[in-house]
Amino acid sequence: MLACFLLLAIAPARAQLVDTARPNLAAQISTRIVEVTTGFTGAEILVFGAAERPLGGEAGDQVLVTVRGPRTPQVVRRRVEFFGIWVNGPSARFLDVPGFYAIAGTRPVWEVLPEEARAEGMLGLDTLPLAARGAQEPSFRAALLALKQADGRWQEHAVPVEVSGGRLFLARIPLPATVPTGPYLVEVLLVRERRVVAQQTLNLEVRRVGTAAWISAVARQAPLLYGVACILLASLAGWLGSVLFRRS
Amino acid sequence: MQVYLPIAEMSVDALLLLGMGFGVGWLSGMFGVGGGFLLTPLLILIGIPAPVAVASGANQTLGASVSGLIAQWRRGTVDPVMGGVLLAGGLAGSIAGVQLFALLRRAGQVDLAVSLFYVVVLGTVGALMVRESLRAILRRRGGVAAKPNEHTWLHGLPLKMRFRKSRLYISAIPPLVVGFGIGVLSAIMGVGGGFMLVPAMIYLLGIPTAVVIGTSLFQVVFVAANVTLLQAWQVGSVDIVLTMMLLAGGVAGAQFGASMGAKLRGEETRALLGLLVLSVAVALLVDLIHTPSSLFAIGPMP
Repeated sequence: MLACFLLLAIAPARAQLVDTARPNLAAQISTRIVEVTTGFTGAEILVFGAAERPLGGEAGDQVLVTVRGPRTPQVVRRRVEFFGIWVNGPSARFLDVPGFYAIAGTRPVWEVLPEEARAEGMLGLDTLPLAARGAQEPSFRAALLALKQADGRWQEHAVPVEVSGGRLFLARIPLPATVPTGPYLVEVLLVRERRVVAQQTLNLEVRRVGTAAWISAVARQAPLLYGVACILLASLAGWLGSVLFRRS
Repeated sequence: MQVYLPIAEMSVDALLLLGMGFGVGWLSGMFGVGGGFLLTPLLILIGIPAPVAVASGANQTLGASVSGLIAQWRRGTVDPVMGGVLLAGGLAGSIAGVQLFALLRRAGQVDLAVSLFYVVVLGTVGALMVRESLRAILRRRGGVAAKPNEHTWLHGLPLKMRFRKSRLYISAIPPLVVGFGIGVLSAIMGVGGGFMLVPAMIYLLGIPTAVVIGTSLFQVVFVAANVTLLQAWQVGSVDIVLTMMLLAGGVAGAQFGASMGAKLRGEETRALLGLLVLSVAVALLVDLIHTPSSLFAIGPMP
């Protein structure tokens, strides 16, 4: 009789223990390769998955999705007035910044995770290592954040992580046409009681394909040959055009 | 329809590029100039980075001028000796120009330099053209004869050469200097420089009008080719997709413009062209002195 009681008392406790130790999270992305063709106007990647416990709301688990692109050093210049005209003045160089960064969540990241956890995982634009060389004023940092967000290459909760049926989640992350090419990392985090309890990392690659890829590869690897080709192609096109459109 | 430019790394509306090419080609056919001075600022205006706009503009000028050169060569209106001397200066000038361009790019001042060059050069040339053509129109009405070529200090320089087709016996230094100057401007502004070269050849060097267009095209084609090569090699900013889109519209437009230009009178055409050049200069100047909407600009590490 006593044993029976004990068993009843322990059973849910044990289930809970297993649950917190290995919370289940399954995530996937709609594509592993984003192809930049000559007709590329931007793309959208779908990050979706399911969790074991109810998601969203005040009490449920929260899902965070981050997408990080390759490191792309940036220069921020301030325009100054010089004898009536606006010229590029002091500049700050940011070497260690991602070319693309997006974070989305069922709730804003600063509401679901403490500062230390955010800083450690680089979750949120304010946690990016924006150390500048050159001009040090904070306004350069602010300008970088504002301009990168304006052109869509950095996003902070620009799109939501939608929850359907309580356990399924879905985020549509837009990639602008100016998205840098290279390897990307997509991270999906499950947050419970202000702690990351599960995470899954997926690889994504943005690469140029077709003519666009070929042209930029030739231009970079054999610039002299590319220059000669440009001269020949332009001459040929000019000559051909004048033959085709001759109106006499 | 959007088209992705692989070197500029951005998407632009293909119809916009074709339309711009057509419009500029039409104007250039009408006025008999390459049109690079209109195209490069327009490209910058629609958001193409200045280095790509300049390099692809030079590449486009090459394509737009090549058929003209072939036609002029067949007609025998190219002075190869004069063209060769101008070209020697032009090649040296464009090499110097591309080095300056690369230097300015590293210093982050390339956009400003391109705009300033445009304002100063187009402002001066446009004002001179308008003044000269207005005078010609007035002179025609008043019936005053034009002054013959004067003997100036330019004729006292050493290194005299005989230019048979141009019927000139002058020093090689002035054409070399003119060629050099146009070469520098060609490299920095992405233009062929025909709109400056033609008046310089007529007024400074005294070359007969019959061989001016052919000989200037000779210089423009080869200098533009050199700028294309050097920009592709040293700066890496020639976008062949952009060039081809512009050329596709441009060669079609040029043929329509040429037939229209034949109906206009010389002085009126020059006055119109002068006004056009001046208005581009003013538009760029306004852009320079206008307080920018954002005081900061971001760009990739040069």
